[in-house]
Amino acid sequence: MKFSYNWIREFVEGLNCAPSALEKLITMKTAECERIELAGALLDRACAARIEAVEPIDNSVNVKAVVDAGRYGRKTVVSGAPNCRAGLITVYVPVAKKKIHGVESDGMLASGFELGINRDHSGLLEVDLQEGTALAGCVPDSIIEIDNKSITHRPDLWGHLGMAREVAAILGDRLRDPVRMDLLPRGAPAIKVQIEDFDRCPRYSALVCENVTVRPAPLWLQYRLSAIGLNPINNIVDVTNYVMSELAQPMHAFDADLLQGDTIFIRPANPAERFRALNEQEYTLDPSNLVIADAAGPIALGGVIGGLDSAISGKTRRVVLESANFLGSSVRKTSAAIKLRTDASMRFEKAQDPANTVRGISRAIELLRELSPGIRIVGGVADQKRDIPARPPIDLPLDWLERKLGRAVDPAEVRRILERLAFGVVESRPQVFSVSVPSWRATKDISIKDDLVEEVGRMVGYDSVVPQAPLVPSAVPHDNRERRFQHQARQIFADQGFTEVYNYSFLSEDVVRVFGLDPATHVRVTNPIAVDQALLRASLVPGLWTNIAENRKHRDAFRLFEIGFEIHKRAEGLPDEIPHLAATLYDRHGDGVDALFEAKRAAECLLPGARACPAEARPFEHPARAADVTWRGETVGRLFELHPSLVGTGRAVVLDVDLRSIERLATFETKYTPIRRYPSSAFDLSVIADLREPAGQLEATIASLAGPLTESIHFVRNYTGPPLAVAQKSVTFRLTVGSPERTLSSDEVGEIRERIIQGLRQLGYQLRV
Amino acid sequence: MLDRRIQELESGSLARIRSARSPDDLEAIRVELFGRRDGAFTLIGKEMGRLKPDERRRIGLLLNAAKRNLEEALDLKKRQFADAELSARLDAEWIDLTLPAPGPRRGHLHPMTQIQRELEELFVSLGFTVLDGPEVETEYHNFDALNIPATHPARDAQDTFWLENGLLLRTHTSPVQVRGMEKLGPPLRMIAPGRAFRNETVDASHEHTFYQLEGMMVDRDVSVAHLLYFMRTLLAAIFKREVEVRLRPGYFPFVEPGFELDIRCVICGGTGCAVCKQNGWVELLPCGLVHPNVLSMSGIDPEQWNGFAFGLGLTRLAMMRHAIDDIRLLQGNDLRFLEQF
Repeated sequence: MKFSYNWIREFVEGLNCAPSALEKLITMKTAECERIELAGALLDRACAARIEAVEPIDNSVNVKAVVDAGRYGRKTVVSGAPNCRAGLITVYVPVAKKKIHGVESDGMLASGFELGINRDHSGLLEVDLQEGTALAGCVPDSIIEIDNKSITHRPDLWGHLGMAREVAAILGDRLRDPVRMDLLPRGAPAIKVQIEDFDRCPRYSALVCENVTVRPAPLWLQYRLSAIGLNPINNIVDVTNYVMSELAQPMHAFDADLLQGDTIFIRPANPAERFRALNEQEYTLDPSNLVIADAAGPIALGGVIGGLDSAISGKTRRVVLESANFLGSSVRKTSAAIKLRTDASMRFEKAQDPANTVRGISRAIELLRELSPGIRIVGGVADQKRDIPARPPIDLPLDWLERKLGRAVDPAEVRRILERLAFGVVESRPQVFSVSVPSWRATKDISIKDDLVEEVGRMVGYDSVVPQAPLVPSAVPHDNRERRFQHQARQIFADQGFTEVYNYSFLSEDVVRVFGLDPATHVRVTNPIAVDQALLRASLVPGLWTNIAENRKHRDAFRLFEIGFEIHKRAEGLPDEIPHLAATLYDRHGDGVDALFEAKRAAECLLPGARACPAEARPFEHPARAADVTWRGETVGRLFELHPSLVGTGRAVVLDVDLRSIERLATFETKYTPIRRYPSSAFDLSVIADLREPAGQLEATIASLAGPLTESIHFVRNYTGPPLAVAQKSVTFRLTVGSPERTLSSDEVGEIRERIIQGLRQLGYQLRV
Repeated sequence: MLDRRIQELESGSLARIRSARSPDDLEAIRVELFGRRDGAFTLIGKEMGRLKPDERRRIGLLLNAAKRNLEEALDLKKRQFADAELSARLDAEWIDLTLPAPGPRRGHLHPMTQIQRELEELFVSLGFTVLDGPEVETEYHNFDALNIPATHPARDAQDTFWLENGLLLRTHTSPVQVRGMEKLGPPLRMIAPGRAFRNETVDASHEHTFYQLEGMMVDRDVSVAHLLYFMRTLLAAIFKREVEVRLRPGYFPFVEPGFELDIRCVICGGTGCAVCKQNGWVELLPCGLVHPNVLSMSGIDPEQWNGFAFGLGLTRLAMMRHAIDDIRLLQGNDLRFLEQF
């Protein structure tokens, strides 16, 4: 929202604060200013000038004009404007001399656009003034731009008067209200208004005017609107926009002769009712949209936009002025549904003040009398409204206010601050103010005492609050074990050479299919930013896969990991979000073997004692290199090589573990077992087995045969080659046996060994002894 | 007679020991001197049997002294040889320690992880619990329970990714406030760092996925002064120095009053630079006193309890700390970027 400093100054008597200083005050006490821009810089020294003679310039579309510029004297200037002709009175600006096409131009003749008065750059601005006179009401201005987000809750700050009220309150100046309610005509209205839905339209005020002349608005008003980013159109439309910009009350003008019947209806749209709007778009409506209609159909979309068929034109002689109040949420819904945000809808959705409708009309009457001389008002104001109950005053206990702010404020100052902002203050009980809220703040903004804390706080200035440590008991915070474990895991993987990545939560259907998964099992974004980001990831692996593709352009070998949520669709309620750790090792020159064992080692760093159990490969896994990772008896993850056809050059290995199940299985208490006092004995066993029989399985078999005196079983080596058959291998394990109570005799050790050997033989294994 | 022989044997042998060239030389000398069968000392000892007892005692003393001296000399020389041999052997083991260690280099933690962890530790030390919330949220937790009903214009400012069944990707970490209040009840101190999503086109300064840290304290009589105290403590720890902060009005439906907290620009110290847009202040975090509606919606009586809440943009903070000028780098997952942290 843009505010004109000059406009604000009209309402703040004796404003004596430069725009840059004012901007800072507004930022600290009211709303965030984004920037200040200078408008109409050229207007400072511009004046009317008569073109006396025009001569062509050789080889140029420009002409040489001699002008009588009043106090600046006779000047020769170069102009390219098509309407630069002798006798024209336009605007001269004494800018620095420069040569154009060999002709020295001493100053310039300006268009409305160049001056900042309107958007017309088709030719020189034509004015009806004495040579040398300045353009009345057109002087340089500072435009203060406020961040719209910071005034979402302030319907009143969508007009200059509201901001002027803030400025006056901040500076302690008096506020001048431009509205003269005595201008409202009395008597029977010349048009009927019928509201069918008072919830969505609490008030609708209308007035008929005749003998209207439609023509451009005076330059000062065009300039005002242009400076704050509005487009001047004609005197009637500009008045409605002017009132909106001043009072935050959107208005609309209909050509009364183009309306059917004598009644304006405010009603829900009929199903599939069609409406042609001022922007020349046609909309198909439904009953959730509120329309303004005449006997024939919609003439405006309530609170959003007027209709094309009843628009003001050069032929308009009678107008109906509309000044209404609409329910913010309903306007917002309609505006969102048809994807059209207008200056009106933006204001209405902030919950405007119903009391403001007739104020808007009285202000418009005053302006129209000036802008359309001879205009006649017909009848009184048609004003339909629902009774709007006055809100009860808010009790503001002063000690409570002090506890909230963390500083004391003198009661007299609290009163002064609130009254300057137009609140009514009565000390209903000792130390309790009963505060009544002005109508323009009562629609939504202020309803509870907490809202008043802000009013007082911002005006005394939050910089006057001294930081203070709270007096609360020291308490050890709840432990977040999951998160602590995740941070531990991160550190372990970083120490093992893995670099952490953060992938998006989105995946494309294509990638999901590459991994042999069904897009239908994924949570779907209904309004994705791009089609390739429509699904939520149910695995971290595809993300790592794309990271490999990107990073191998610059690196031959690397290790990556990520901790993030797998998001799994559920039939009802929130999806299941499972924290996972996924890690990958890529090597352009590797064969995958070392990488698999490095990944396994990393898994063991995270999960001491974890095992890999061969498992059937999924489509994206190397068919002969995939295993479940088990820990404490449960499957907690997966270790595999990515299918080489997915990788292309090089090999990539992946470890993917479910942190939620790990966290559940982790015990953080360890109980001590006494260190053994008696020496133990060790012996090796070499078992001959099928080449593809997993050593882990052999080990488990040996462990089951070894009995309770086994301390440990360690893999020592694999051997293939003579004298073994081609499809065979010999696996050697070292067994350590012992007893906590005594030293085992060699006979006892031999017995254990014999038992294992016999057991293995019964299972069909041969042993190398 | 024997006196002389012993003297000559001693001095001659000492000279030979000193000039011995190898442990083998030394061993030969030792055998010559002390060999059990025909070592010089053995022979002299045999000859001593012929002497008178007085003479034998005297010569015996001389002989023992010479023997001791020579043994010492032999030991000394032997040690010297051993030392020299050890030195030579160790010298041969010279190694080039400027070579890189085998095995992988240590990996890198993401800058966002680092800053998040640092802040978690900081808040835990101040008595705050670290909470997690889901990335997929209900409309209730993300909006309604935060005093942003469906018709509220503030929803426009948060371009939302909608999912099936009316669910959404959380647009801020604030829903964890609600979950925290539901879970912990008052009094409470909590933070919730995490991922949030906005349906925005990505460019150098906009991301659809970003990181926030939500914080909340609910207790008796929590005031603006307390909020300021925590924010100043927090920021001093983050920036490792005292920072000047200021509050100005800001509108967020779930707090009342609501603030924008600015810090005095850490780059220029407040004189004005490109980072603070010549303003001297940098907008850092939105905060405020928890709106009573938010408390009561989560079952906390706002007449008994109140609190403050704040939302820290971790992405922004990481960018400020490391002078990162393109937000896309943070989730670009390019090792050439990640390896710098």
